[in-house]
Amino acid sequence: MDMASSEVRIRPVRYLTAAWAVARKDMRIYYFRPGNLMFGVLFPVFLFFSFAVGRDLPVEILIPGLTAMAMFFGSSSTGAMAIPTERKTKTYERLLVAPIHPISILLGQTLGGFIFGALFASVPIVLGIAWFGMPVASSPVLVLAIALSSFTFSTLGIMFAAIPTESPGDIMMLLNFVRLPLLFVSGIFISLDDVGDIGLVLAAISPLTYSNDLLRWAVGGTSYFGPAIDVLGIILFAIVFLALALLLHERVRKSDRTAGKRKRAKEAASA
Amino acid sequence: MDAIEAESLTKYFGELLAVDHVNFRVKKGEIFGFLGPNGAGKTTTIRMLTTLTRPSKGTARVAGYDVLNEPLRAKQHFGVVPEVSNVYDELSVWNNLMFAGEIYGMSRTERRSRSDELLSVLALAEHSDKKARNLSKGLKRKLVLGMALVNSPEILFLDEPSSGLDVTSTRLMRDTIRQLAQRGMTVFLTTHNIEEANLLCDRVAIIVKARIVAIDSPENLKMTLDASRSVEIAFKKDPSGLQDWLKASNRVNAVRKDGDKWKVFTSNPSEFLDSLVNYLERERANLLSINTLGPSLEDVFVSLVTNAGKGG
Repeated sequence: MDMASSEVRIRPVRYLTAAWAVARKDMRIYYFRPGNLMFGVLFPVFLFFSFAVGRDLPVEILIPGLTAMAMFFGSSSTGAMAIPTERKTKTYERLLVAPIHPISILLGQTLGGFIFGALFASVPIVLGIAWFGMPVASSPVLVLAIALSSFTFSTLGIMFAAIPTESPGDIMMLLNFVRLPLLFVSGIFISLDDVGDIGLVLAAISPLTYSNDLLRWAVGGTSYFGPAIDVLGIILFAIVFLALALLLHERVRKSDRTAGKRKRAKEAASA
Repeated sequence: MDAIEAESLTKYFGELLAVDHVNFRVKKGEIFGFLGPNGAGKTTTIRMLTTLTRPSKGTARVAGYDVLNEPLRAKQHFGVVPEVSNVYDELSVWNNLMFAGEIYGMSRTERRSRSDELLSVLALAEHSDKKARNLSKGLKRKLVLGMALVNSPEILFLDEPSSGLDVTSTRLMRDTIRQLAQRGMTVFLTTHNIEEANLLCDRVAIIVKARIVAIDSPENLKMTLDASRSVEIAFKKDPSGLQDWLKASNRVNAVRKDGDKWKVFTSNPSEFLDSLVNYLERERANLLSINTLGPSLEDVFVSLVTNAGKGG
């Protein structure tokens, strides 16, 4: 074996190639985990139909809502499942001892959720067009809405995965405390025209609102806020979530607060 | 420049002092063992050196790079075999190796060639397409070693490398470590297995209660324990008064029965052997084997741990 060190120069492109490697690994391992399929596919579909069946809603309202929900649950679940699972199996440490920046790890895991959400978003869109004859007012905006929304929701899951636990269930539980209330204030089940002033304030602090609104504009050509505000709103949430994710993950990494580190401290104390 | 340098390396977990001002240097190409009882600070030290845990005080340089200030540069030069076999169970052996190469920034061609080479060297080729979850513990350990070697590092950190392995796998692991060192790789290993350290290491550090209590070559450490020289005797059938005779002998410091052998600790083996020959002639005992032994590294380890315990 040639044991000479292969010097690897750290270049900006390395951040992206490393992130892409992490994303592809996550896609292979976590996409078909029961938790992901449950929260990414079944849960939004059943929740949606439980509200939609029996109500005479046009397809331009139904499909954007279902698509936004699928992305919201699907994208945010991937990182929230993958990171604690990898902490438990110690494979997360494999990433941490590799010569890649922590930003690349989180970006890679965000990309994994982004692609997962975008793939599942395409299912209701394709079905809507093919089966229900759903119009598409602007294909580029539709693609943009899916891309921005999936990415933003993925960063939400990554941010919650900073909670120092090795159990995906712990993170999912806390994530659902946030996700489920947001469903009801984001204009999916109740139109933003009917929610009143307080409802509008609540809607404004939900990323799902802008995603749903932008999808409605892309499909039906009408929306509450307009595409410019929706795009800005989604981007703003992505920046906030990603910045908080980086800050919190780094803080947890430096503070020895993961379960494994607590265990080692206990062992040392009992020696 | 040494391969690894630790100066006053210290780690607190809250109020608990896990590693206390540890100092050591590991030369290039050396196999350096880090021995200690459970909870002594071995794993915390290796985690600080590999950037997984931040030191509370002190500095560490790996391959010349400060692990706190230049972690990415340091990481380019080492591979890690942790105590837990952290492979991706859902990926095949081949894909695990390829992924490991990918996060080290190797091109696809480099990764393929290196993975092929490692499969062959570690005798994993026939398992290449198996998912890691279907591997035995020994094969998983080999895969972890392969993943740590994928970027041809200068320094290899191993945390309890043969923990839980059977005899054959343990031998293969040790042979591989020796071969790597012969080719110039620096190896830093922690182990509970004192015999492993004795067989593999050029030098060992013994850490007890967060502090290093000795650093030297295994043979030099053994020399510090003269009182632990011993004679090991086995009989076809033990003479009836043997134990009483041994206890009465003023040349014997202690006696221990190890399986079918008697281990007699003496500070003067030659005088003891003279008296033993007289005793055997008198008793007409059938001797099966006799060996004079120096102190083992285990004796040194136990002595140091016991003394550190007495010291509080």
